[in-house]
Amino acid sequence: MPDNAKTDVSHLPVLPSPPVSASSGNGHSSYSARLGRRDERVRPHLIYLAIGFPPAAKSCAYRMRETANQFRRLGWDVTVVTIAAASWERDSGLDYTLSENVDPGIEIVELPLAREDLETDIRKFSEERALRPDKWLARLRKREQTIFPEPVFGGWRGTLEQAVVDVHRRHPADLLLASCVPYVNLAAAWKLWKECGVPYAVDFRDGWSIDVVNGGEAFTPDSEAGVWERRIMDHCLSLWVVNDPIAEHYRARYPHVADRVHVVRNGYDKDSVPARPRKADLDAGLTFGYLGTVNYSRQQLSVVLDAWRAARQQEPMLRNAKLDIRGHIGAGASREANSLTELIRDAEQDGVSFGGPVRKAEVADTYAGWDALVLILIGGRYVTSGKVYEYMATGLPIVSVHEIDHDASRVLTGHPLWSGAFGLDEMKLTNAFREAARATLEATDTERAAVRAHADPFTREGLMTRAVQQLAEYALSDARDLPVNNAAVHPSDGAATGGQSEAVRAGGVNA
Amino acid sequence: MTEVLLVAGTPPQPGILAGAVRRLREKGARIYLVGALNQDELPADLGVDGLYALPEAIAKTPHSRSGLRAAPGERVWARLRREPWLRERYRSADVLVAMDAHAIYTVWRLAQRNRTADARYGVAAAVQAIAERKTRPAPSPLQRWTNGLPTSEIVRQGVSRLVQAAPHVAVSAVTARPLMRSKIGTQLWLTAVQAPRMPDSLRAKVAHQVADSMAWAGRPDGEALILNATARKLSQPAARAGMLAEAASQQLKAGIAPHDLKPAVEALLSVADQRHRVDENAAAANLLNRAMTLAFDRVLHIDQLTSPLAQDPEGFIAPFRRSLTATTVAAPRGRLQPAAPPPTGRPLRLLIATSANDNFLKLIRAHYEAHPGVEVRFVDLAANAALKKVTWAAKSMLEHRLSADETAYGAKVEERLRPHLDWADTVFVDWCVAPAALFTMIDPGTTRIIARLHSYEAISRWPHMVDFSRIDDLIFVADHIKDLTTTLVPQLQAADAPRTHVLDNAMDLRGFQIDKPAEARFQLGMVGINQVAKDPRWAIEVLRLLRRQDDRYRLLLVGGEMNPDVSIATREYLKAFHQDLAELEPSGAVRRLGPTNDVPKMLTDIGVIISSSVREGCHCGLMEGAASAAVPVVRDWPFFAGRPHSARTLYPEGWVIGTPEEAVERILTTTATEEAWRSAGRAASEHALREWDWSVVKHRFDRLILGDGQTS
Repeated sequence: MPDNAKTDVSHLPVLPSPPVSASSGNGHSSYSARLGRRDERVRPHLIYLAIGFPPAAKSCAYRMRETANQFRRLGWDVTVVTIAAASWERDSGLDYTLSENVDPGIEIVELPLAREDLETDIRKFSEERALRPDKWLARLRKREQTIFPEPVFGGWRGTLEQAVVDVHRRHPADLLLASCVPYVNLAAAWKLWKECGVPYAVDFRDGWSIDVVNGGEAFTPDSEAGVWERRIMDHCLSLWVVNDPIAEHYRARYPHVADRVHVVRNGYDKDSVPARPRKADLDAGLTFGYLGTVNYSRQQLSVVLDAWRAARQQEPMLRNAKLDIRGHIGAGASREANSLTELIRDAEQDGVSFGGPVRKAEVADTYAGWDALVLILIGGRYVTSGKVYEYMATGLPIVSVHEIDHDASRVLTGHPLWSGAFGLDEMKLTNAFREAARATLEATDTERAAVRAHADPFTREGLMTRAVQQLAEYALSDARDLPVNNAAVHPSDGAATGGQSEAVRAGGVNA
Repeated sequence: MTEVLLVAGTPPQPGILAGAVRRLREKGARIYLVGALNQDELPADLGVDGLYALPEAIAKTPHSRSGLRAAPGERVWARLRREPWLRERYRSADVLVAMDAHAIYTVWRLAQRNRTADARYGVAAAVQAIAERKTRPAPSPLQRWTNGLPTSEIVRQGVSRLVQAAPHVAVSAVTARPLMRSKIGTQLWLTAVQAPRMPDSLRAKVAHQVADSMAWAGRPDGEALILNATARKLSQPAARAGMLAEAASQQLKAGIAPHDLKPAVEALLSVADQRHRVDENAAAANLLNRAMTLAFDRVLHIDQLTSPLAQDPEGFIAPFRRSLTATTVAAPRGRLQPAAPPPTGRPLRLLIATSANDNFLKLIRAHYEAHPGVEVRFVDLAANAALKKVTWAAKSMLEHRLSADETAYGAKVEERLRPHLDWADTVFVDWCVAPAALFTMIDPGTTRIIARLHSYEAISRWPHMVDFSRIDDLIFVADHIKDLTTTLVPQLQAADAPRTHVLDNAMDLRGFQIDKPAEARFQLGMVGINQVAKDPRWAIEVLRLLRRQDDRYRLLLVGGEMNPDVSIATREYLKAFHQDLAELEPSGAVRRLGPTNDVPKMLTDIGVIISSSVREGCHCGLMEGAASAAVPVVRDWPFFAGRPHSARTLYPEGWVIGTPEEAVERILTTTATEEAWRSAGRAASEHALREWDWSVVKHRFDRLILGDGQTS
C-alpha cells in the first residue's frame, strides 16, 4: 500500500501514548523492533473478552484459543475474560481437551456469570418462574434489554465492565479485543476505552447488524443496538469478520471506517483432521458423517433424511450405509430432547444414528472413521461456518445441504469431491449422496491430493498468525500508523504478510 | 438405586420419552412416570417401573372453577396433587424431573415437600443430577423420614396465599353454581359490584371472581352483565374501557353478539385517542386494535343471519370516523410519483401476491404465465417466514401509522417488500386484507398497485387499514360489494382514491356443461352450506311449499357442514336445521351429499340451482350451476335487497325472487315440462358462459392489467 493511499485519520481514536516515544522516522519500523523496545520495559498486555474460550465446547473456542495463543507467541501478556466453566454445563457443555493446547502463560479470569434462562435446577426457581415460565422469560429478556440491547446476555453488562476495569487496574492493558457474541462485550470494551483510554478491536465473527441467517439488516441504525454499533465502529481499531459478504455489509454501512474492516476466516486446526482418508469398505458398509451443532430447521433435517432414505433404496452401494450425526442438539432443558432428536431417532432403521458431541481430541479419529461427509448449514451468503474448512481438509467427499448462494459454496468451489449446493432439492440431494458413495471408491489419489491442496491455505494457525500480527502492530502504533487500506486477510495474501516494511505500513494486509 | 420421577404436563413425543427412559436406565435408575400421557402412543417396550396416566389436556382444561384463570402449570398441579399414586411416589424419589414447561410447577411444589430430592427440568439435567448424587453423601434416614412434611416455608406461603385470597375465599363461598344460575344470585352480585365507595382495585377483583363464577356456571351472559355493571362504576377510563371490552370479548368467545358492544368500542377508542395525543402510540395501537377486533368479530357479521354492519353501515362505522386514532390510521399518505406506464420493449413484470389463499388466482396466474407480454412472479406472503411476520402484524401496522410512519416495523417492511416493488411494474394483490395493508405501508415508487376485494373483506377490519391513496386500481367482484365498501370506507370517495372496477371472478365454466338426466328436473340443489349466511333453511322452506303441490321435488345439499362452535347463532341455526333434516331426510326429500372435489359431476343431478344466502359477493356456486344448465333461483340477498345494487342487478331479470312463495312459482313454471325446464336451463347456461366464463372475463382483465390493445 503506497503511503499516499492514507485516509484521513482524524476521526480515529488517539491511542494512549506508547511507552517509548515516537516511532522511528517515517513510521516504517518493524513490529519486532517496536516490541523489542517495549520488552526493555514491560510486555504489552491484551485483555481478551472471549466468552466461549476453552473449555467451553463451542465452535468459537478454536478461534479464541488460536487468537490468544498467537498474541502470546508475539510476546504479549494475555488475560482472557470469560465466564465460569460450570456455566457451560447447561449451555453447550465442556470439553477439557480443548484447554490442553492453551498457552499456559495465558491468564484466565472466569466471571460468575451464567445464562439464567438455561438453569435446570428447579430448586433455584422462584415460584413465579415455576408457575409461568414463559412470562418469566419474557420479563427477563425485557429486563436484560433495558441494560444493553441484547436479549439473553444484556444483564451481564455491569459484571463485564467491572471485570475489564479491574484487570486493567491490576495489569495495565495496551489493547482490548472483544469477541462477539455476546455483543454485551462491546459495553465493556467501551467502558475501558472511555475511562482508561485502552484501545479496542472487535472480532465480530458473524457481525451484529446483519441477519446472517435470513439476510438483510438485523436492526436499523437509529435503534438502540444501531447506536451502540455505530459508536463502537467509530472508535474501533480494527474489526474482524469471517467472510467477504459480512465485510461488505460493514463497509457499506460504515464507509468512514471501511478500511478497518478485515476478513479473518475461521480455518481449521491441523490436528483435527486425520492423516489420510480411510479406505472405503463396501461389505462393512459406507459411513457418512455429520459433525457440528444440530441447529437447523426440522424441515431441513427432514429433507436430508428423506434424501438419504431414497439414496439407500436406489443406490446398491448405499444399501448398508450408515449416517452418523455427531454434535450438540439443544440446550438447557431441551438438550438432546427436541423434535430434531425425534426425527433422527425415527430414522434409526435407515442407518441413521446420533452419537452426541465429540471432544476436540477425538475429532480427527471421528473423521477417520467416516467415508464421506454431510455438510448441513443454515443461512445463506453471510454464513460460512467453521466446519467447512475442517470438512475440506479431511479429503473426503462432501454432500452439501445448504442454500446455493451460501458462503460455504464459495469456499468449496473448486473442491473436486464436492457435490455442489442445491438448497433443499430432495432429488438432487439423493443423487449427491449416490455420487458421494461412488466417489468414496473411485476418487483417485490425485483427486484426494487436490482436495487437500484446496484446504491447505485455510489452516487456522496461518490465518490467525497474519491477523493477530496485524492487530498487534496497530495497537502499538502511533495514531498515524493506523490501517488505511481496504483489505482482507486471506490465504491468497500469504506472501504479502511477512512483516516487510510495506506490509507493516499497510497493517499487515494487502488490498 | 436412584429413583427418578418424571412428570409430564403435556404428552411427550414418544421417541423423546423412549430416549429419556433409556438414558436414565443406563444410569441405573428406577423410573416412574406420571402426568399427561397418550397411552395409545406410548412405546410398548417403554421400560418404566411405574406409570400413572392422566388425560392429555390437563394443562388446558380447568379442574375446578378456580382453574379458569390458572396458568397451565397450576392446572397440572391442581390435577396431580390429590392423586394417591403421586403422593406415594414423590416421597421416595431421588430426582424429580419436569419433562416440559407445564410440569415445572408441579415439580417445584413436590420439591418443597421432598427436600432431599434433586428437582430438574429436562432429561439431560436429570442424568447430570444422578451423576452428581453419586458424589454426595446419601440423605440421612431422618431427612428421608421428614420428606412429605411441609416445611416452615410452605406453611408461610400457604398462610400468605390464604390472606391474599381472602376476598376470593369469601366470594367463592357465595358463588356456588346453583346460586349463580339463579336470578337472585345475579341480582345479588349486581348490587354488590356496584356498591358505593369501593376502591376500583377491589371492585375489579371481586367482579372478576364473580364473572368467573358465572362462566363456570355456564352463564356467559351473566358474566358480561357483571363486568358491564362494574365497568360503569370504575373511575379510571382505561380500566373502564378494559372491562367493557372484556365483557364484550367474553360474549363473542361464547358466540353471543354483545348488547354493549358500541360502548365498549367507543370507550376503547376514547382511551386510544388520549394515548395517541401524548404520543404513546404503542398503547394507542393496542387499544385501536382491540376496538377493531371486537367491532369486526365474525360472530357479529359472518356467523349469523344478520349483521349490524349491513343494517346500518354508517352508524356502525361512526365511532371509528369520530376517533382521532382511527382516522389517523386511515389518513392517505399518497405516493410521491405516479405509477409508470407499462414498459415498451420488454414484457410487463407482474407480481401476483396473496397470503395462503390462491383459490381465485389459478386461472389468472396460468393466463399471464403463458402470455408472451408478461413476466409473472407469484409471492405467497404466508409461505415466506420473513414476509409472513410483517404481513399479519395488525398492531405493528397500526403503531406505524400512528407514529408518522416511523417505526422499526416500517423499516422491516421496506426492507422485505422493496425488492419486490423494485422488480415489478404492476403488483396484483388478491384479497383486500393484510397483504393489501402491507403493500400500502410503504410508498410503491412507480410501481402500479392493483388490489381485489372479494366480499367478506368489506365486513372485516382490513379496508380500514389499507392506504387506498397508494392503490391505483381496486377491483370488486360485484357492484353491491363496491357500494357497501364505499359507504364504509370514505377514502374510496376521496380525490386520491383508486380507480374502481367490477370484474367477475375467474371461472372456467365450460367444464360444467354435462348433460343432465330427465330426473334432474325435480331435483333442487345448493352448493355450499357451511355458513349460517348460506341459509339452507330458506331452501328447505321452498321445498316444503313445493312438495305441498308436487312431492316429486327433492333437495340435494352439496358441501361440508357448519361448525356449531363458531357462534351461538350457528349452534341454534344448526339445531333447527337438523330438526328440518330429521323430518325430511327419511323420505328422501332432502339428501346431504357432503363435500366433493367434483362439483361438475354433482351438478349433473341438479335441475334447479338455488342461492338462498343472506349475502354473497357473486356466488360462484350459483354461477357454476347456471353454467351446468340448472335453472337458477336466487333469493334477493337480504343484506343488499332494496339497495341500488343487489342480486337483482347482478343476475338477469327473472332469476331473482323475493320470497319462498315466489321461488315456488318460478320453479313450478320453469319445470312444468321437460322441454320448458331444458329450455330455461339452456338459456341460463348461455348467459353464464357469455358473461362469466374465463374466456370472456380474461379480456376484461387484460384491458385492466395490460391496457388497451394488448388483450390476448
